[in-house]
Amino acid sequence: MNDLWHVTALSLLLEGVHCRYGRHPAVHSVDLDVPAGTRVALIGTNGSGKSTLLRAVLGFQPVSGGVIEVGGRRAGTSAQWRRRRGEVAWIPQLRSTGRFPLLLGELLDSSGDGAAARGAAARLGLARLESRGVHTLSGGQAQRAWLARAVGAVAAGAGMLLADEPTAALDFAGQEEAAAVLTELPVTLVVATHDRAVADACDRVVEMAAGSLREVA
Amino acid sequence: MIAELLALVPVQRAGFGLLLGAIALPPVGVLIVGLDIYPVRFAIMHVALLGSAIGLLTGTDPLLWALALCALAGGGLAPFATTSAGLSGAMGLLMSLAIAVALLVLSISGVNANGAFELLWGSILSTRPVDLVVLAVLAVAIPALFWWRRRDLSLLLHDRELAACSGVRTGPLTMVLLVVIAVSIAGAVKLTGALLVDALTLLPALAARRIGRGLTGMVVASIGIGLVVAVAGLLLALALDQPPGPVLVLLAGVIALLAQLPPMRRT
Ligand SMILES: Nc1ncnc2c1ncn2[C@@H]1O[C@H](COP(=O)(O)OP(=O)(O)OP(=O)(O)O)[C@@H](O)[C@H]1O
Ligand SMILES: [Mg+2]
Repeated sequence: MNDLWHVTALSLLLEGVHCRYGRHPAVHSVDLDVPAGTRVALIGTNGSGKSTLLRAVLGFQPVSGGVIEVGGRRAGTSAQWRRRRGEVAWIPQLRSTGRFPLLLGELLDSSGDGAAARGAAARLGLARLESRGVHTLSGGQAQRAWLARAVGAVAAGAGMLLADEPTAALDFAGQEEAAAVLTELPVTLVVATHDRAVADACDRVVEMAAGSLREVA
Repeated sequence: MIAELLALVPVQRAGFGLLLGAIALPPVGVLIVGLDIYPVRFAIMHVALLGSAIGLLTGTDPLLWALALCALAGGGLAPFATTSAGLSGAMGLLMSLAIAVALLVLSISGVNANGAFELLWGSILSTRPVDLVVLAVLAVAIPALFWWRRRDLSLLLHDRELAACSGVRTGPLTMVLLVVIAVSIAGAVKLTGALLVDALTLLPALAARRIGRGLTGMVVASIGIGLVVAVAGLLLALALDQPPGPVLVLLAGVIALLAQLPPMRRT
């Protein structure tokens, strides 16, 4: 399927990145250089700052210091952030969002390539659920839906995927399928995970501990 | 007897205004539910009161002042959507500030405060042609906005970050929505009075939430419920010879309540 896509994987560069919540520092002086096309597993204990770091790349978490570049470009203006969010596909950590009804089909179409996302959804066992509200899906089904959406976003041209514990709610078969889908994508991948299988499928493993990053393997 | 009443011009105007309101206002209720900004009604009413006071002070139309100030307030609130305190906190502040300034304006101008409060007690039967024009514009513009931006709106109301990831300009869209909400509430206050504004905004939206699927389904359902409430409510009020406002609210409340009931078992 890769050769059908005209995707250019993008590099990620973090230099001295700091994030804080109020006075509480959550990410402390993080450096990370990920060449285009590399797959990186981001591990670390609960509360070590993985989600904060990934959200900072997308501009959902303000950065109090340091530099973040995707494909060699920084983001500052709202137009630049919109470009960044088009270039970087995102699977958020499972949370209870969506007070408001959104249909699964609408979630898949929002990726920018509804056909690819729907194809991936069918492969992940969501074929007949497209007219269901996202809030009626089980935790694992919702996670599969976001994975399928990420496939659509990559098909639509995203060159990087940031995935925040994308297999945490999946059953055993689902974890394998998801790891396969994730690693087949022709993009740069940074995946926060507690899942051995996902970490093993990556080229590099880095560990967050109390807001700081270190190389593991 | 109802036929005779319906032949009266104020009653006809009231009916027409209610129909327009029933198209324009329930989608605004959907926005309020979706953005989770229930305090916006009170904040905007207080701003409308301030507008009304300025109108009295300057001898110009209080409704137009109310609409203009509310539009400004709605736009000014938009930047708070991304803060951790959210929109509701900012709205509480706005509400207190607006009422304080309004009271000062009234006191300085020496106008009888009752004149300004008349806006809040607005009655359907006192609907004027200019009110109808405002409502007609809203009744066209609001459903059109929902249809035109339905994809962006479903994403934004579901999850701001999902919308941002999907190329939606969340900032400008939020600002437009808040202006629309503010102006509509100001217009609705004139129609039903402040205390009853929920009859055509929030209550149909809450009822529709259980009926409609997805955003478009919900908006269509809310307008349908709004129309039923408007027509049945006005006729009922005329038949009972009671003020339409409370009858409308009671009717809308009953429908919203019925929609919350669990579906009947079929076995
Ligand atoms: N909204 C917030 N306000 C205040 N503190 C926060 C907020 N979100 C996270 N934190 C704190 O920041 C730190 C890092 O949180 P983060 O969510 O990045 O951890 P994580 O590594 O993703 O953890 P997990 O494995 O549980 O997902 C934690 O100490 C957390 O308590
Ligand atoms: Mg996390």
